[in-house]
Amino acid sequence: MNRVNAVIVGAGAAGGIVAKQLAAAGLSVVLLERGPWYTPADCRKDDLRNQRTTVLGNAFGPEDLGFPRVVVDAGGVARIVRPSDSAYQNNAACVGGGTLSYGAQAWRYMPQDFRMKSVYGAPAGSSLEDWPIGYGDLEPFYDQAEYEIGVSGDYAPDPFHGPRKRRLPMPPLPANREWEILEPAARRLGLHPFAIPMLRNSVPYNDRGPCMRCRWCVGFACEVDAKNGSQNTVIPQALATGNCELRMRCTATEILMDERGHARGVEYINEDGRREQQLSDVVVVSACAIESARLLLNSKSRLFPNGLGNRYDQVGRHLQGHYYTGALGYFDHDTYDDVGPGASIALCDYNHGTPGLCGGGMLANEFIRLPIHMIDRLPPGTPRWGQGHKQAMREWHRRTIVVMGPTQQIPTAEARVTLDPAVRDKWGAPVARIQGNSHPHTFEIGAVQAKRAQAWLQEAGAIHTALMNSRPQMISAGQHQAGTCRMGNDPRASVVTPNCQLHDVENVFVIDGSVHVSNGGFNPALTIMAIAYYASAALVRGWKGTRYRS
Amino acid sequence: MKRVFFHVALAAGILILCAAGAIGGATYYYTSQRGAGCAGCHEMADYVGAVHASSHRSVGCFDCHSTGWAAKLRHTAVHLSGRTPEAIRLRDVDVVEMTAKCQSCHQREYATWRAGPHSATYAQIFTNAQQNATRRLMDDCFRCHGMQFSGSIGDIVQPQSLNGPWRIVRAGLASEPTMPCQACHWIHREGLPVSKPVARFSVAGAADGESLAFFDRREQMHFAIAELPLPQIFDRARPVNVSPDQRQALCYQCHAPRQPDAESAAARNNWGAQAGSGDDRTPLGVHEGISCFTCHSGHGESTRASCATCHPVMSDCGLAVEKMDTTYANPASKHNIHWVKCQDCHTHGVPRSMHRGSEFVKPIQWNER
Amino acid sequence: MAGTAATGAVCITGCSWRNSSRWEFLSNAQAETLAALADQIIPEDDFPSASQAGVVVYIDRQLMGPYRRHRGAYQGGIESADQISRKFCGVALAQARPTMRQEVVSALAERFREFFEMVREHTMEGYYGSPRHGGNRDAVSWRMLGLKEPPLRGRAHYDLSKGRGS
Repeated sequence: MNRVNAVIVGAGAAGGIVAKQLAAAGLSVVLLERGPWYTPADCRKDDLRNQRTTVLGNAFGPEDLGFPRVVVDAGGVARIVRPSDSAYQNNAACVGGGTLSYGAQAWRYMPQDFRMKSVYGAPAGSSLEDWPIGYGDLEPFYDQAEYEIGVSGDYAPDPFHGPRKRRLPMPPLPANREWEILEPAARRLGLHPFAIPMLRNSVPYNDRGPCMRCRWCVGFACEVDAKNGSQNTVIPQALATGNCELRMRCTATEILMDERGHARGVEYINEDGRREQQLSDVVVVSACAIESARLLLNSKSRLFPNGLGNRYDQVGRHLQGHYYTGALGYFDHDTYDDVGPGASIALCDYNHGTPGLCGGGMLANEFIRLPIHMIDRLPPGTPRWGQGHKQAMREWHRRTIVVMGPTQQIPTAEARVTLDPAVRDKWGAPVARIQGNSHPHTFEIGAVQAKRAQAWLQEAGAIHTALMNSRPQMISAGQHQAGTCRMGNDPRASVVTPNCQLHDVENVFVIDGSVHVSNGGFNPALTIMAIAYYASAALVRGWKGTRYRS
Repeated sequence: MKRVFFHVALAAGILILCAAGAIGGATYYYTSQRGAGCAGCHEMADYVGAVHASSHRSVGCFDCHSTGWAAKLRHTAVHLSGRTPEAIRLRDVDVVEMTAKCQSCHQREYATWRAGPHSATYAQIFTNAQQNATRRLMDDCFRCHGMQFSGSIGDIVQPQSLNGPWRIVRAGLASEPTMPCQACHWIHREGLPVSKPVARFSVAGAADGESLAFFDRREQMHFAIAELPLPQIFDRARPVNVSPDQRQALCYQCHAPRQPDAESAAARNNWGAQAGSGDDRTPLGVHEGISCFTCHSGHGESTRASCATCHPVMSDCGLAVEKMDTTYANPASKHNIHWVKCQDCHTHGVPRSMHRGSEFVKPIQWNER
Repeated sequence: MAGTAATGAVCITGCSWRNSSRWEFLSNAQAETLAALADQIIPEDDFPSASQAGVVVYIDRQLMGPYRRHRGAYQGGIESADQISRKFCGVALAQARPTMRQEVVSALAERFREFFEMVREHTMEGYYGSPRHGGNRDAVSWRMLGLKEPPLRGRAHYDLSKGRGS
């Protein structure tokens, strides 16, 4: 098989962008994706089988058979879980990755989010650290992501965001009823509500039309293609350059090394189940935090007996996601207008600056409220079954608002991905074993955030409220997974350089959420995209014709 | 060599015999007692039960569904292997095949439908240059065109861009209808048995509501008109008086208004679905409150003769109502029959004597529009 | 030819005896018990009960697919429900008087908590989930909650050939 300049593992938020940036710079690229290119017809807005409600399976992968993981709970008990189990910490496996079916909130992290240790100090027992790069380094690339992928919204009413060069390319979608209820309430509380920035067309943009405002959003593929992911922006652009080949249903199993400590390429299982090798000058790992770490750990060689980049036992550590907390508000009038996307309004007042709390998080109203989501969200004291439950469903489905948000997790080195010694996937590779939890301070922050959500709902006129702040028994990483291949200057305490290059191997890059040092109090997609643009720019700068030299 | 040939021939012979047996058996089985045989396989029982409670109960399965040997072999193989799909649905080719079967009894309706715009083919809909050069092809197109198509938008038309020329990927479907009988009719729907009347008329308002249902692509099933929503529509802030004729709920599934677009006045003021914002033709002005079916026949959509059913052929102003320009395609047209207002003709004010309602038109709240 | 046809017919009809139930996985008796149980979880009022809306169809179908792993639990749990019912009132759950059924199901919820919670969850899925899976007949639960189904969404009018649409 022909040698190429770069193999990229994973066609998600980051991999798609890297493919396009490298291909546009003239590099020959092979983009490996373990899943297929799904379309809306593969899910058809199925309430029971999508990427969020997975009782009948994952709509956009991975399939339930053959790809287990092992999770270890707080008591140290390990169990094998299938991909549609929430404990699996899944992210979609397909062209576009999570961006095909995400809710598409488009947050920039705030400047403080990159300097958490300097701002707050690291709580004892945590592994909180500053990023080696700052908001200013990423700003141009946030801007590039906002314009190239396409973001709608309006930051003007939010005084807390970092400096920006220009407005977002699209206005926000018109207000829905929850906005009408929550916005004045937040103002009365002296807060600064504003429209959630979304990777979603509110007006025609990038040759695609606007959102039709349907009931289904997060967890589903968009039938009008108004939700912007890598599958409908950068990946088609990468393919159009003629320099990029997308190989679907191809699962990378190992990064191949030569005797001098350079990567030679990637070994993968092709769509027919055969083992293949793709030789390359550079390898880019963009498989999402858990699978990126697993691929590095599974790439054992004479020089790297503990896995690639793992000389100091750093790969897989500091696994993070977000700790979602909030509150339910029950109203004496209709709050639901069936105008999507439900999520419309956010506050960044509580991301930073609360004395005694190490950070915080954004608060927003919930994306979608399908009937299936309401079953266990009825007011406390409602019968769990029988006539009382049915009656309560009728009474409250249209009169409930959920406000919640991603509390920034305080990382620990013990929340980590390792290889399970016994369980293997259908290709015979050891599977990821996930263990540990966030630092306990995370849950203190989350509890405060839930109270704040409750206060907002009460001010908005909720007649009952209920807190949503149950403490998870293990790390909640899920679709927001990050942090397993930490970016840093010290090779003993991090996995990649500030340019996302492995400290140990100069031609292997990890470019995805894995490199996040901390994960902000926001949905991470736009930051993953910005890092992909940023790291691609560094890679292209260092490209010397046939190989990369830093 | 001879030995090998013998074995191959023997195997082929056995295979053919088995296939013939299966097909013959299936034929016998399916055709027995109006499909009672079909119900014997428990996965078919629900479907056969439904048709036996429907207005088509006197018709056998074979009268509408495929009788080809390929279908029989496929059904037999699926049944014996136990790999029955979660729900048994018609494929797009089955639906196309059925349309011809519908014709064999409902000839007049078929002819009217064929002559009208609702019989538009895949080629007409998906390779329309005017449409494709200005708006993006997307899976949502299938909501109303080709709802039974088995695949995604890229499987029917290429290239997926604003630059043509576009071609139908599955050439066999190019000249087939995108909105076949089953787009709007639920054949298995529960109903009293019907027999064919001696004379049939498809004049306005005469459509039989019993089988009217919308085929929802997402769920891959029909929803009867009684269950479909009739929308609340606004003309800016004013709620529009929409006819309560439930049959229209079917029309509104595709001819639907939208939520206000970003930056519109309606969006700034949080007014709901706006008349004329999508594909809806909800009458405003003099015809407000009239049902779609008052003027349109469902199959042919023809309306030319219908003005005279309400209006004198020669109007008070001396216009021949059947020859008036009632251009609807252009929303700005003064002749747009859906939105024409008294003031459009009576530019200096409407004579007091004309402020009256009729049995069709409820008095209208005039606004500044 | 008649012979082969007959053979084919026998071969095809022959498989019907394998399962004389009208359900794909459950036996008729199991389905009746499950219906009685599900109807306590979502009873009939102005709107259909769980089984009237097709919840048993939903569960039965899923037991042939993603819920294959719950087959044993259903068989054992349904048997337990009938045992409790027989102890309480001498007949299987489906034959018990309506007032007794609630007591039986409450006892089941206490003694076989795991099974009951699973049936509750699956009943809710069948009743409030997408109709395509056999439950929520004609999207009746969604209309009960005041949701329009299928929802109305018009087509956006814009012109990409002129840059930003109108």
